[in-house]
Amino acid sequence: MKLGQAFKMAFKSIGGNKGRSFLTMLGIIIGVASVMTIVSVMMAQNKATLDRLKAMGTNRLEVYASLYNGNSVFDSLYDYCLYLDDYVEGVTPAGNYWGNVTYESKSGNSMDYPPEVYFGSDQYAIVNNFQLAEGRDLSKIDVDSYSNVCVLGARAARNFFDFTDPVGKSIQIDGVPFRVVGVYAEKDPDNDYSLDNVIVLPYTAARSLNQSVDMSQFYVKCRDGNALRQAKAMIEGFLTGICGDPNDYTNQKGYFYTYSNDEYTESINEQAQGMSLVLGGIAGISLLVGGIGIMNIMLVTVTERTKEIGIRRAIGAQRKSIVTQFLIESGTICGIGGVIGAAFGFLFTMLGGKMLLHLKTILLPSAGITLAAVLFSVVLGVIFGMYPAIKASGLQPVVALRAD
Amino acid sequence: MLIDIRDVYKIYGEGTEAEVRALDGVSLTIDRGEFVAVVGQSGSGKSTLMNILGCLDVPTRGTYLIDGQDVDDLDDAQLSHIRNREVGFIFQSYNLIQGLTAYENVELPLIYQNVSVFKRRDMVMEAMERVDIASRWKHHPSEMSGGQQQRVAIARAIAAKPPIIMADEPTGALDSHTGQEVLHFLQELNKEGSTVILITHDNSIAATARRIIRISDGRIVEDQEQEVDWL
Repeated sequence: MKLGQAFKMAFKSIGGNKGRSFLTMLGIIIGVASVMTIVSVMMAQNKATLDRLKAMGTNRLEVYASLYNGNSVFDSLYDYCLYLDDYVEGVTPAGNYWGNVTYESKSGNSMDYPPEVYFGSDQYAIVNNFQLAEGRDLSKIDVDSYSNVCVLGARAARNFFDFTDPVGKSIQIDGVPFRVVGVYAEKDPDNDYSLDNVIVLPYTAARSLNQSVDMSQFYVKCRDGNALRQAKAMIEGFLTGICGDPNDYTNQKGYFYTYSNDEYTESINEQAQGMSLVLGGIAGISLLVGGIGIMNIMLVTVTERTKEIGIRRAIGAQRKSIVTQFLIESGTICGIGGVIGAAFGFLFTMLGGKMLLHLKTILLPSAGITLAAVLFSVVLGVIFGMYPAIKASGLQPVVALRAD
Repeated sequence: MLIDIRDVYKIYGEGTEAEVRALDGVSLTIDRGEFVAVVGQSGSGKSTLMNILGCLDVPTRGTYLIDGQDVDDLDDAQLSHIRNREVGFIFQSYNLIQGLTAYENVELPLIYQNVSVFKRRDMVMEAMERVDIASRWKHHPSEMSGGQQQRVAIARAIAAKPPIIMADEPTGALDSHTGQEVLHFLQELNKEGSTVILITHDNSIAATARRIIRISDGRIVEDQEQEVDWL
């Protein structure tokens, strides 16, 4: 029999048994779509956690230090960090200010997500992983001259200025005007509580706000994990000199402690690895379940098909003609099912990203998982679709004919 | 000699207590152009005989020569070739493929012969017209009566004009009127030169054949030729 004829015959058989063809396809569609969706959504969730952590800044040491006489330790810490240049990229206060931000008719307090006002040094951007998008960053001069200037995070800029350029305009914080000198690039677009919804002032500007501001918390950004450990030890030594030993109860000078979020990052990374294992397991089980579904549908039609094969053999079909026809037939059904399943997988992944993870961007399944899900289901479908052909075409025609 | 079987056995479960000898040493020759009725009760081995003659099954022991060629020496392609071109089967249960239309069922043996699509159309319609079922060419088996399905099955058996027609209880599932029509049709084919082998349990049907082979417990107990009125 010619190959073209085998194709025609396979398509006739698919069309002649629409119910069976549809059920087979359904098994593949559900298998492929569910695996793609589950794995993609879980991978995205995992990645979102890690990304947010990264956006917050890695290799960052948090320092809490205060003197009981009320003086700030920041100036001396800043100078000491310059000395630690081999290990430290930057240092900034981490204090924030609770107040209402207004621009023309807009008021932060009436927004769903009001901006947060932070006090920073000229190294605030380096420490917090911000890149400058427009204008200029805070400078040492701003800090030293108590300038009433500010830099906006991308979300805050959009909330107050829509899509107009904020640079040069003035916002008011509790009635005090601050001139916008720059805008940071967006780094956390997917969260409502965005890390971009910030307004950064030089920490010395606290004076013009005339309010008590907590200036005992600082971030020190280190060059890498190793530098972090070195810097942590040296800064602890340095602060012991200024604030005294925090473990000494008789110490009357001050108090400090340090904390690095890399310990947290490490545990998150461990979690991520654990998640990958769980994910792999879930994907495997989904594929297995989908595969068993496909197998079942294929196997329940074996008797019917065995009889058909008996008939075909009785009227002169060769064994190889039968196997060829069934190969084309199940390959076509499973191929179409795989494509439709992948389409649904894309759709459900997008919906899952939007509705479950509330992502602002469109979540798409990776090429790897798409390929794996489609290949596995199609190969399984083809193998079990051919199973009756391989088995029944080896029988004496009369035995296959007797199947009922 | 068209068909020549010598000392053929078909034994199920040989050597066990449940051993069944469906054919117990059968020897038989059939010539071109004969109309043979193989008659026997159910379980006598007559269907087994037809299956072996039609290359649907193989004997446990014994020799089967078709056109002088030993079937035992033939491979799958050659056996398929015989089933495809030499023999047309008509079954009691029609054995049509449910997913295909009447036309597509009749077309099937021609497809396996690689007959071109245009020639195929002519041959299919000719066969269907002969059994007066052409108007139903688009219908599926489930949309037809038993008699109509058997006509489609007959059209499929004769579409490729095979020299041998083997019919296993072709009238078994039909009413007596339709059964008579099928019988007449087989006689027509025989008159035109086809070799017809008819398997039946019904003595009155067997009585219309030119040669009657009676089989019982896997053995031929009677083999006689007779004059018939339809020739």
